[in-house]
Amino acid sequence: MGITKKVEVYLGPLQEKFRRCPPISDLIDYFTSNFTFVLGYTWDHIKLVGSAIIIAIVIGVPLGIYCSVNKYAASTILQIASIMMTIPSLALFGIMIPILSLINEGIGTLPAIIALVLYSQLPIIRNTYTAISNVDPDIRDAANGIGLTTFQRLYKVELPNAIPLIMAGVRTATVLNIGVGAIATLIGAGGLGGIIYQGILRNNTTMILAGALSVAVLALIADLFLRLIENLFTPKGVKK
Amino acid sequence: MERTNKIIALIIKLVFWGLLVAFFVWAFTNDMFSTIVEQPDTFFRLLGEHVTIVLLSGAAAVLLAVPLGIFVTRPKFRKSEWLIIGIANLGQTVPSLAVLALAMGFLGIGISAAIVALFVYSLLPIIQNTIAGIDSVDDDMIDAAKGMGLTNSQILWKIELPNALTSIIAGVRTALVINIGTAALAYLVGAGGLGVWIFTGIRLFDNAFLMSGAVPVTLLAILIDYLFKWLQFALVPKGLRLARKAQNS
Amino acid sequence: MIHFNDVTKVYNGNVKAIENMNFNVEDGELVIMLGPSGCGKTTLLRMVNQLESITDGDIMLNGKSVKQSNKIEMRRNIGYVIQSNGLFPNMNIEDNAMIVPNLLGWDRKKMRDRFNTLMELVGLNPDQYRKRFPHELSGGQQQRVGVARALAADPPVMLMDEPFGALDPIIRTHLQEEFLQIQKELKKTILFVSHDIDEAVKMADKIALLKGGQMMQFAEPAKMLNKPANSFVAEFVGQDRVLKSMSLYTVKDLATALTLKPVSESLEAQNINENLSLRVAISKLLNQEADQLIVENNNGTNKGSITLDLIEQFLHREIKESV
Ligand SMILES: Nc1ncnc2c1ncn2[C@@H]1O[C@H](COP(=O)(O)OP(=O)(O)OP(=O)(O)O)[C@@H](O)[C@H]1O
Ligand SMILES: [Mg+2]
Repeated sequence: MGITKKVEVYLGPLQEKFRRCPPISDLIDYFTSNFTFVLGYTWDHIKLVGSAIIIAIVIGVPLGIYCSVNKYAASTILQIASIMMTIPSLALFGIMIPILSLINEGIGTLPAIIALVLYSQLPIIRNTYTAISNVDPDIRDAANGIGLTTFQRLYKVELPNAIPLIMAGVRTATVLNIGVGAIATLIGAGGLGGIIYQGILRNNTTMILAGALSVAVLALIADLFLRLIENLFTPKGVKK
Repeated sequence: MERTNKIIALIIKLVFWGLLVAFFVWAFTNDMFSTIVEQPDTFFRLLGEHVTIVLLSGAAAVLLAVPLGIFVTRPKFRKSEWLIIGIANLGQTVPSLAVLALAMGFLGIGISAAIVALFVYSLLPIIQNTIAGIDSVDDDMIDAAKGMGLTNSQILWKIELPNALTSIIAGVRTALVINIGTAALAYLVGAGGLGVWIFTGIRLFDNAFLMSGAVPVTLLAILIDYLFKWLQFALVPKGLRLARKAQNS
Repeated sequence: MIHFNDVTKVYNGNVKAIENMNFNVEDGELVIMLGPSGCGKTTLLRMVNQLESITDGDIMLNGKSVKQSNKIEMRRNIGYVIQSNGLFPNMNIEDNAMIVPNLLGWDRKKMRDRFNTLMELVGLNPDQYRKRFPHELSGGQQQRVGVARALAADPPVMLMDEPFGALDPIIRTHLQEEFLQIQKELKKTILFVSHDIDEAVKMADKIALLKGGQMMQFAEPAKMLNKPANSFVAEFVGQDRVLKSMSLYTVKDLATALTLKPVSESLEAQNINENLSLRVAISKLLNQEADQLIVENNNGTNKGSITLDLIEQFLHREIKESV
């Protein structure tokens, strides 16, 4: 348990400082003594949200692109996606369990991932759609003028210009999903919500705080990380 | 092309509604709402608790968050604006489950813990949107108003608030929809609500409990969402709708 | 009526926007402030109604220091028009235009009458526009409502910051003329910002030309055109300043200053009304429409004739000799 030792070395002095502040010193205590445990839950959480986001991108971006060529479908699809977004997470789990029980998957990771994918659709589809519809018509004309096919145009001109906004949609969805993921633990999907839930069962405020803090920090890190990627993917010319 | 597009849109719509109808037919034929039919009294009690938690916390949040948003956008306190926005942004990364649990830590088991938790949680989007709404009012407009001799409070009531109203209502809408979902978790802090049946369903693997709890919660959320969408339309001055349209086109 | 006494404005402790400004806007006068971008026109205007504080010196409005006046009360007696977006999108046109009367507690009937009068004044049909919203009006129509709103409570003083700035030339010319007409009737005391020398020459009783927060020249338009105080003024008013100044004199001015020539039989002739501007006369002569213009008054009485020679003589007199 080398890592635990190291953490203790780093957090020890901090603990000294906060000795007179019980919630904080308890919290630091909790993290140092349950480090691998928290890390495991965090990893589960990342896997859950990560896989959901990847699936959501694979579904949402093409849908968003399609919306940009068919404005009738766009309003229908966006409406459906926004209704999905309105459904409370626990209720969505509750509805999916009976349906997925038909294939014996009522409880666990599958309903959680489906729920997260559904929640991600609105930000991803909407941003993709807006981004591509907003590509300057002049640029589009120029692309047509030099003889690009629709697909080439999409691939070479519109998508690169749209990426920052699409990534912003992905970021919104991710931060949202990290929060929702905390509830997924209630249907046995694991993740950091587990720490909070156990805290509730044991009436242990330190555990609840630890779980809440971990989720919040994870969301902030994800936000920061995705902003970074967003920057990397933004073509130099598009940057402001 | 135009026609094909319309037909595809129609098909998508039909498939969606078809699935929805199929779901309800399937649920009914399998007696999944039987719990509601068998225990209507309990159903209405839970629904009542659910709605009470949501509305009380929501109303209290509006009463505090809107004035607070107004307060920090006054020139004298503008400097504190970033702080409040920062807190609102950060606060929203804390999962609702944790906020509930922490409120229970302070207030013990019961409905008051749920109400306080939801109150705190809904402050954030309402403050955020109140500030954003007031900030979006054009400086030139305020300038013209000042130049004509409107007092600060007249500027607030006649110019800033009417122009920020859409945004404020949107904030309340977001907060209430989230609250309906969070209130479903209130069972965990012993505050009742329709979540009771959902959790029972999960624990007992009983589809009738699950559906009888989850479907009404969903409908409630969608209903509130639509109600506020309508309010956004009905309460917002016509001139502003036109302004927004002009901006988007 | 508005007296600027050594007014100085310093922003953030170091940006000097206005330096020791001294001039007066008399009762019923329309003074236009001109100058390059950033020279301090808006700043100076906004110090009058105290939207901007005065660092040093003072501005007297009706003999009373604006610093000492009650801001709200003072502002209600000053019409204020800003360049853009001054209308409130949440209010219809009537509520927009009547906002100050409303605050002053006028009764409905009085407000309605006032609205009708003002809209007629700015050339809009009151009943057609009453219930419309700003976004249902064109830019020019919005601008007119802006002017109507500033006039609503009949303030004796008006401050106007490029009120016609965002308009295309045709509408602008039209509104300028309308506004001059209104001003002739109402005789307000007006401080007006513009960046358009032609607008200033056409409308102003006096022009204040600023540069870098300092007054370059404060004079009647004709004087500024014909006797620029320094090379900056000369350059600013343009190479064609003399030609511009022609529009400020009427044929009658020339007839009063010099003796008209008798009508010559040998030259081609056309008639011209004595109230037309010299610019019209000069154009007619230069366009070879005639070699002499026979001046007649409103009754058609012949008063003699003018030729290019005579105009040149007049110019010489105005530019070189008069004050
Ligand atoms: N609030 C402010 N803080 C600091 N400096 C300012 C402020 N407002 C104006 N200035 C500066 O004061 C100077 C005068 O500005 P002002 O707006 O009065 O110019 P202007 O003559 O109206 O220009 P324009 O024709 O472009 O409207 C400029 O250098 C400007 O940068
Ligand atoms: Mg200016």
